[in-house]
Amino acid sequence: MHPSEKAAAVPPVLAYYLKLALKSMRRNPVMTGLMVAAVAVGIGISMTTLTVHHVMSGNPIPAKSERLFAVTLDSWSPLRPFDDDRPERAPHQLTHRDAEALLRLGQGVRQTAMFESSLVIEPLGDTELPFEVTSRVTAGDFFAMFDVPFLYGGGWDREADRNAEPVVVLTRALNERLFGGADSTGERLSMQGRQFTVVGVIDDWEPTPRYYDPINGAFQEVRDTFIPFSLTRPLELNSIGSDWGWKAQDINSFDDWLNSESVWIQYFVELASPRDRGSYVAHLDAYVEEQKLAGRFERPMNNNVYDVMEWMAYHEVVDNDARVLVGLSFLFLLVCVLSTVALLITKFMGRRGEVSVRRALGASRGAIFRQQLVEVAAIGFTGGLFGLSFAWAGLRGIDYLYDTPDGLVRMDWVMVATAIAISIASGILAGLYPAWRVCQVQPAAQLKAQ
Amino acid sequence: MGFRPMLSALLRNKTGPLVVMLQIAVTLAIVVNALYIVAQRIEKMNRPTGMDVDNVVVIYVRGFGADFDAEDSVRRDIDLLKSIPGVVAATVSNHVPLSGSGSGTGLRTVPDETIESVGTARYQWSEDGLAALGIELARGRNFLPSEVQYVRPGFNLAAPSVLVTQDLATELFGDEDALGKTVYWGSMEGSTIVGIISHMHGSWVNWDKLGNVVVQPGKPLYETNKYLVRVEPNMRDRLMPVIEQQLGESNRQRVVKSVRSLEEMAAASYRRDRGMAVILTLVVTLLVGLLMLVIAGLSSFHVTQRRRQIGTRRALGATRGHIIRQFALENWIIAVAGTALGAVLTVAVAYWLETSFSLPRLDWRYLPAGIAVAWAVSLLAVIEPARRAAAVPPAIATRSV
Repeated sequence: MHPSEKAAAVPPVLAYYLKLALKSMRRNPVMTGLMVAAVAVGIGISMTTLTVHHVMSGNPIPAKSERLFAVTLDSWSPLRPFDDDRPERAPHQLTHRDAEALLRLGQGVRQTAMFESSLVIEPLGDTELPFEVTSRVTAGDFFAMFDVPFLYGGGWDREADRNAEPVVVLTRALNERLFGGADSTGERLSMQGRQFTVVGVIDDWEPTPRYYDPINGAFQEVRDTFIPFSLTRPLELNSIGSDWGWKAQDINSFDDWLNSESVWIQYFVELASPRDRGSYVAHLDAYVEEQKLAGRFERPMNNNVYDVMEWMAYHEVVDNDARVLVGLSFLFLLVCVLSTVALLITKFMGRRGEVSVRRALGASRGAIFRQQLVEVAAIGFTGGLFGLSFAWAGLRGIDYLYDTPDGLVRMDWVMVATAIAISIASGILAGLYPAWRVCQVQPAAQLKAQ
Repeated sequence: MGFRPMLSALLRNKTGPLVVMLQIAVTLAIVVNALYIVAQRIEKMNRPTGMDVDNVVVIYVRGFGADFDAEDSVRRDIDLLKSIPGVVAATVSNHVPLSGSGSGTGLRTVPDETIESVGTARYQWSEDGLAALGIELARGRNFLPSEVQYVRPGFNLAAPSVLVTQDLATELFGDEDALGKTVYWGSMEGSTIVGIISHMHGSWVNWDKLGNVVVQPGKPLYETNKYLVRVEPNMRDRLMPVIEQQLGESNRQRVVKSVRSLEEMAAASYRRDRGMAVILTLVVTLLVGLLMLVIAGLSSFHVTQRRRQIGTRRALGATRGHIIRQFALENWIIAVAGTALGAVLTVAVAYWLETSFSLPRLDWRYLPAGIAVAWAVSLLAVIEPARRAAAVPPAIATRSV
């Protein structure tokens, strides 16, 4: 055997172990390939599902998620709750009149009422046809509340909200299309037959989940434009999101619609501290108390605020399928580890003769054990690398299958670190026992039997 | 070789077989539960829709500008669509079935607000609606042209006559004949059921009352108007660009937002189910493949290790058949033990899925089927190594002792 076997403390020994490992791996290429493939497939599948789950369950605004609250008021029918299965819940959206009133009261640091609409843009030139864009109709506080990054310009102020000024903020993509990516602040844009002024262009911004509107889809792209909420009435803007009603009311005009009991407005408030939650709900209760005197809000007092993560849980943003897949894919990983164990045991046991010779020549049990582990680690590492690329391919497959916006499901460094940790853990889990078993070989008996 | 010596051979070197046994057990648990989920999703996607989904084209148009005349625009569009050769029928509709977007309402059999209403999807279309979707009327009659009016954003809900699906009729009236009966809207106004649709799906494919549909006569005028157009079989893909071009050129006062097939829209609604089915099928395939490779790999290794033993047995008179049988039987014992443990695990996983995720309870017939597959797989995997074992010449026993 090699003379350096004794000097187990110096670094070259690791190189020697690696050389042995490589040699052993090459001696049984099929077995080695099988083990690497098993680890790779296991890591690939489990990292794919785990990443999807991680993206779905992530905190989209960690710095502020405990100070941003969705607001609900129970304006529903006196006869039955909004949701029969969860009678404790108030409707998840507000009526337009209540949203307007809360904005006027303005009891948070910032607040916004909002919904999704669509507008027709009429290009100034004759060559291009008019086209439809989606729009988030919101108060100017939106941009500061949700930390929206700007490429050019900015949002609009409360003055613009009050005066229902026709101002618009564009996404980067729409600014590319309309103005070739140039700084378009101050430019005019004709929408819905009105002249709008561009006041800002936001930079790439894809909060995932899209926490400010899980009702209309937590995994959708940010809308093309943003315009003031106070334009709803003068421009008669319709919602393209969901609306819910309980009361049969005669609706003959847009004003009738805005004053109806239909709920279709989402409302968010930013408070200075999570501790202000109670006092804010007290404000809500005071408002509802007033409305009760006017004959509205016939249900028991049930007004609530939900912080961002509570709001995600409320809307079950992480669907059951994603959880089932995580569970099943980790069982899958277990199968892959078991395969590796079975293969390793067999392989190591087939090497009893070689181990006996080395033991007889003076290698300690520890040295043998370490050497086997180096081989296992090499297999785990190689499998892990392949596994990461499988996971990358798997996520592209998810993009295709679920038609998710580009780049929505991708692995961040947390996921890559998790993948590495899991492959090391499964490698060790798979390798420890077989390596220990082979160390128990009695050199004398084994050599005699040969 | 008999059963006992083989068992003791297995037991002597027990860790390897034990691990394979565990692998078979966990594999079985995943495969059976995953395939059951896949089967459920496929069944869900293949439910009969009651409509001629393959031959329906859906068009979204939107007018703009102050002088846009919605009624005139819709009338001209529908006339244009009907004039295109290959178009069977066309209507404007408030919503599109299977699209995920729609209108829901509650109906009652008596005008009493305090009793619970029956939830249903609500559509509004012209006398051409049934033909435009290829829906079959079981009994009663279609809308009369005189009943169909242009309707400004659908606020006046109560039309005198409506169509309902058989599913909705049954939920409302039980075994009684619903034809000619009155249903009441939230406003407590009533409508008479003039026709019963045998079956059709509403808008939301994940809703458990997908088959509940009520249809009102009318040509809704929304900001965005939706047209349903049915074309002759096999004409759809050729006609869609024609439709888009002709509509686009005919009126510059509105945007043709999209021209899509109903088939594609329905597929988008079922995207999550298809995704789940595809992923789980892939997982099952990989698991079965891995199991086969591992068993084959281990057996080949064993054959190499036991060449002398096999040669000795052959020298002592064992036939090739005996050797093949030995390997097959060894594997089968592992498979039986693995599937026995796997059956328990399968039930445990099924219980976990049922209680934690409220998935439907596992159909027990999947278990024996899964076990049979596991046995077949382990047998298949061992055939090639066993053949090679049988090819070991008896003479090897006498060499290199």
